[in-house]
Amino acid sequence: MTYDFDALLGRVEKPGRYTGGEMNAEVKPIAQADISFAFCFPDTYEVAMSHLGMKILYGILNSLPYAVCERVSMPWVDMLSELRKNHIPLCSLESHTPLSRFDIIGFTLQYEMSYTNVLEMMDLGGVPVLSAERGEDDPIVLAGGPCAFNPEPLHLFIDAFLIGDGEDSIVEVTDVLNACKKEGVPRAERLRRLAALRGVYVPGLYHDEYNADGTLKSLEPVDPCAPPRVLRSILTDFENAYVPTSPPVPYLQPVFDRIMLEIMRGCTRGCRFCQAGMLYRPVRERSVDKLVELARESVRNTGYEEISLSSLSSSDYSCISELAGRLTDALKDQRVSLSLPSLRVDKFVQDTLTHTQKVKKSSLTFAPEAGTQRLRDVINKNVTETDLVNTLTNAFSNGWNAVKLYFMTGLPTETDEDLIGIAELAKTAAGAYYSVPREKRVKGLRITCSASVFVPKPFTPFQWCRQDDPETVRRKQRLVREHFAPLKSAHFNYHDSGVSQIEACFALGDRRLARVLHRAWQLGCRLDGWTDQFRYDLWLQAFEECGLDIAFYAHRERALDELLPWDHIDAGIDKAFLKREYERAMRAQTTRDCREGCNGCGLQKLKGVCRACE
Amino acid sequence: MRMMVVFEKGETLRYIGHLDLMRAMQRALRRSGLPIRYSNGFNPHIRLSFAAPLSVGVVGLRELMEVPLEDGVSEQAFQDGMNAVLPGCLRIRQCRALADGFPALMSLAAGSRYLIRFPSNAESDRAAAGFEAFMALEHYTAARRTKSGENPCDIRPFVTGGTLQKTGEGWEIALETVATAAGSLKPSLWLECLRTFTQAGEFPHIIYRTAILARKPDGTLVPMEEV
Repeated sequence: MTYDFDALLGRVEKPGRYTGGEMNAEVKPIAQADISFAFCFPDTYEVAMSHLGMKILYGILNSLPYAVCERVSMPWVDMLSELRKNHIPLCSLESHTPLSRFDIIGFTLQYEMSYTNVLEMMDLGGVPVLSAERGEDDPIVLAGGPCAFNPEPLHLFIDAFLIGDGEDSIVEVTDVLNACKKEGVPRAERLRRLAALRGVYVPGLYHDEYNADGTLKSLEPVDPCAPPRVLRSILTDFENAYVPTSPPVPYLQPVFDRIMLEIMRGCTRGCRFCQAGMLYRPVRERSVDKLVELARESVRNTGYEEISLSSLSSSDYSCISELAGRLTDALKDQRVSLSLPSLRVDKFVQDTLTHTQKVKKSSLTFAPEAGTQRLRDVINKNVTETDLVNTLTNAFSNGWNAVKLYFMTGLPTETDEDLIGIAELAKTAAGAYYSVPREKRVKGLRITCSASVFVPKPFTPFQWCRQDDPETVRRKQRLVREHFAPLKSAHFNYHDSGVSQIEACFALGDRRLARVLHRAWQLGCRLDGWTDQFRYDLWLQAFEECGLDIAFYAHRERALDELLPWDHIDAGIDKAFLKREYERAMRAQTTRDCREGCNGCGLQKLKGVCRACE
Repeated sequence: MRMMVVFEKGETLRYIGHLDLMRAMQRALRRSGLPIRYSNGFNPHIRLSFAAPLSVGVVGLRELMEVPLEDGVSEQAFQDGMNAVLPGCLRIRQCRALADGFPALMSLAAGSRYLIRFPSNAESDRAAAGFEAFMALEHYTAARRTKSGENPCDIRPFVTGGTLQKTGEGWEIALETVATAAGSLKPSLWLECLRTFTQAGEFPHIIYRTAILARKPDGTLVPMEEV
């Protein structure tokens, strides 16, 4: 560390974000590696260090004998301005190497509102922001993660996107780039070689055209190396796939400060708003034996005092009770507590409840998503009020007194009755509490209901739907708030409409949005996911200067036969399936969990991928 | 049993706060597999305590903590076991099994020794030139930041010794401070006062705490691990 950088540390908030030195952080000498990879997380250190995907890929890359991977996260505003003022480049945590000196830099795209951070980090690291302006010696810029499934709004900035599960894909890409580096292959050819790999999309090799009404006319390859459709990567041997049992253990407390044991990937529920539920198909589970072993190993290597089960829907894991029991037994000597997140209301079992509190009691969270049964049928969230009441009553008589309920407003077909239903459900929850005899319940009931604004996402049955305009959003939030006013123990939180609107634009956007993003960043937008940093005015200005209409992207119902900006990406799910699901939604018809029988989503066509369909 | 542990908190970690360091040590103890004594109660945890919190930004060369263990752990086993699972920037330097009835380390903490190093430049040379005069003052009032806000406070009674030395790259100040009824003095505040007094601007520097002091029965101050 230099005195220069050092002096900055004394002047910023939470300097521990920038100093590294964590247990298990990689100390491989970067100068001796054949190829260097900077894993960039476009949000602050605390968010980055909570992300399981980064720990997986960081571990995999560093297990390659010829590669070294170091971490970079987005500095907070105070550090941003210090770095700029003092002309110090953004560097990696491990060896303090500037971003521009890496062979490969890879961003994970978890959230559309982190896109400006991608630009800011490259610029701070001395990497040309525009792909077209990068020279032979500049790093190859990769991006992956769920948002990469609609890569177009970032097509000007990213050299190659990795679509789908990254475990195998990142090794293939690194191998190819390592070979290219040895052979001295020019940049353009390196990208063409990447384009030939399964799950890799090189946007520079495609061309877009538009219809007079502004909709997409075509998006096609202009190079024989580039496939017309890019099929996502799918990890098939989940049981034996790499698990980061010795990830860096941060000093500064991250958002999730615990072992995250990934018990399962994918979800069979088919909630129609949920992008993850569609993108991570098929469902893949690890065995209980394997998980107990992984948990033991993780505790031994990290010393964490808490472990949580990570998946999209942990209570759907086939042997959840057995797993909870065996983990609790395996970890109790070291006083490691087990917490069970994202538990679904309809499958919350009594013995799981008992297991959780054996060691430590954590808070209860449920996501009914919508206020009435009709709307829950529309979104295919198969949770009934009876389920919720039974589960809550159970929990309240077992010592819990606080519950969080998550909702969305602006879901397709929503009426005022559905919105008032949110408050009604809070009332029902309170009723469940008071139904427990006074001596059996813990005092001080707290019900927190949070409502986010529905954002239609690609590869979901709602990808053709519109988002409510900001005025409607505000009217609806007001309506719910009014119905919460008389409720004593219940509290209602809601999200800002502006952020959700920009998020919708970038979720559903085409290539033209790349210019908006570039302009917004030039105007000073960054850290947009942080409410206190989000500058709606600058975003509006950027759209206006680029001559693009927010409503066209966010508030427009799309025709079912419209060519969508992500149609050249093959997520494994058929568009016909999504259309069928959309039509069933409009009729408020539910679709069964696909473990009960194949619904023909499209994955059954890929050989050896979806076991349920074989 | 309780183990008195002398450890180094390296340069990389000097911006890591007290509570974060405490958590890191607790996790290292769990990784080590040593027989730790957990607290009883609903939320069992490792009740380790540091002899004297180190202010953020300062490197600790001989920091002290005590760790409750099940009986029968040797000093060497503890030191080796911990060093195997600590990152390079945290090192155990010495251990001592404490006799029953040995007072809590925190109750013994009476002062600290620091080393302040800085390269020579126009500003730091000015501060060094005024060092003797500054040390000769009987009183020096500074605004001391405490929980209740900024309070004017005479910092001179906190300082019991100070020497200045010329080094290869610049200067080195050895400073000894004691805790008084008014609390303790941060070395960074002392340096700020020196700068103000000598009208020196900011200059790069690094501060090390070299010892946590305890008082012997005769009143002399010695590193606590020697008591």
